[in-house]
Amino acid sequence: MTTNIQTRTGSGMAGFEATTSRWGRITMMAGLVLSLIGPLYLVFFGGLDITAGHIWLAFIAVAATFGIFWIMEPLTYFPILGPAAMYQAFMIGNISNKLLPAAIVAQSSIDARPGTKRGDLAAVMAICGAATVHLTSLLLFVGVLGTWLISIVPDALIEVARLYILPAVMGAVLVQCIATMRQLRPTIFAIGAALAVQFVLVPLVPQAAMGATAITVVATIMLSWFGRDRSAIHTTPAEEEPSDAARDAANGSTAEEIR
Amino acid sequence: MHPLALQVPAEAGSTDILAVANSPLVWACALGVFGVIFVQTFIYIKAARKAAPAVGMSTGELTRSYRAGAVASIGPSLAVVLVAIALLALFGTPAVLVRIGLIGSAATETASAGIAATTMGATLGGPDYTQQVFAVAFMAMSISGGMWMLATLILTPLLKRGGHRLSQVNPAAMAIIPCAALLGAFSMLAVAEMPKSGVHLITLVVSAAVMSGCLFLARKLQAAWLKEWALGFAIITALVVAFAAHAA
Repeated sequence: MTTNIQTRTGSGMAGFEATTSRWGRITMMAGLVLSLIGPLYLVFFGGLDITAGHIWLAFIAVAATFGIFWIMEPLTYFPILGPAAMYQAFMIGNISNKLLPAAIVAQSSIDARPGTKRGDLAAVMAICGAATVHLTSLLLFVGVLGTWLISIVPDALIEVARLYILPAVMGAVLVQCIATMRQLRPTIFAIGAALAVQFVLVPLVPQAAMGATAITVVATIMLSWFGRDRSAIHTTPAEEEPSDAARDAANGSTAEEIR
Repeated sequence: MHPLALQVPAEAGSTDILAVANSPLVWACALGVFGVIFVQTFIYIKAARKAAPAVGMSTGELTRSYRAGAVASIGPSLAVVLVAIALLALFGTPAVLVRIGLIGSAATETASAGIAATTMGATLGGPDYTQQVFAVAFMAMSISGGMWMLATLILTPLLKRGGHRLSQVNPAAMAIIPCAALLGAFSMLAVAEMPKSGVHLITLVVSAAVMSGCLFLARKLQAAWLKEWALGFAIITALVVAFAAHAA
């Protein structure tokens, strides 16, 4: 009897893992290809005189800034999300501010610990729920309503929005970033490095403007590493904003006896 | 429009971004990504239903998890919608839907686009923000987002096999490096806006101030929802001030 239940348990969850890892990968690859076709089409057939050099330069500059997160984020979220939800999370996006809270609320509402099989299933279902709401509201409010809004709003307004959207986003994002990290030294190093690059380096070497962000990122990493508080003990890779609960969850699932 | 021009009617120097951003194929691909996620959601729910009894989960618990996730994401989703609408003029609907609404976040994707525009010697949204610059920025955002997905595709099976030992190699480095990188990136992107014009500086300061205010209130009033909406509020307020300052 016991053995019977055990095999059933094994095959049930094994079936889920097989299905989700197979279809998770297939759907994610499809999403990846589809998300690249649009821009590739514009680059190659848009008649916009874009050279491979343009793309490479842009890509290298972006990679120098965010490349580290391509690897770090999957590593950070894996213990909290579990393998199946990984394929959902990195396609739906907004992981730390929406999917993680959703998964944690669901797990706590049915008393399932993260890292257990029940926890994994609860997280997957929660992300499915979040995906349904998110996709529907995006299609409705951005796809339909937003496109309509853009068509009726006067051009002058659109022009201003376009001109000043970058400072409007970056001011808030920087504050959010500082508040989330709550790390005084790296914050001071980052702002100091940015000011030095913008107001000292770029005026001296105008070409440096192209790689300004990458230069600041590297400088901040070096300064923060060599100037770190060596008495501090670091336990979890706290990166974007895993909530306190998520951070606990990450710590809690370090003993991986269940998965 | 020329009747024979079936391709995107485009000139590299035109600043009519929406003409290329809204081309039918770009729209079709964006809707395709939505379709793929809907299919994935459907397959996952079916698989979870099948596996639930074996791990001692009832159908009721599955439904409760689904509902909890759906309800929990209403606020954050609408907050994303608000930010996305503010970015429509910059990237057009399909690119905003896929890049900001789905795969990435407003912060990283706008940052990537801004960095890409800089390599072209242009400013995102400025007078030199041509269709050519837009296409390169869109491509750069998409490759960067693609790398996240590629890393997920490669790392997930590896991590599944080996647990997450990789992340425990050097906890200090894992804690400091990403933190410093993000702070460095966004500090530079914010500081780079300062010297562009007085209005840029005002917009930046207002946006930062609104965010600070929201985060302060969120902590004082224990209002978690305010944290989610803060970015949207900050962007809209900053744009309103920018509009007034620009007209003045």
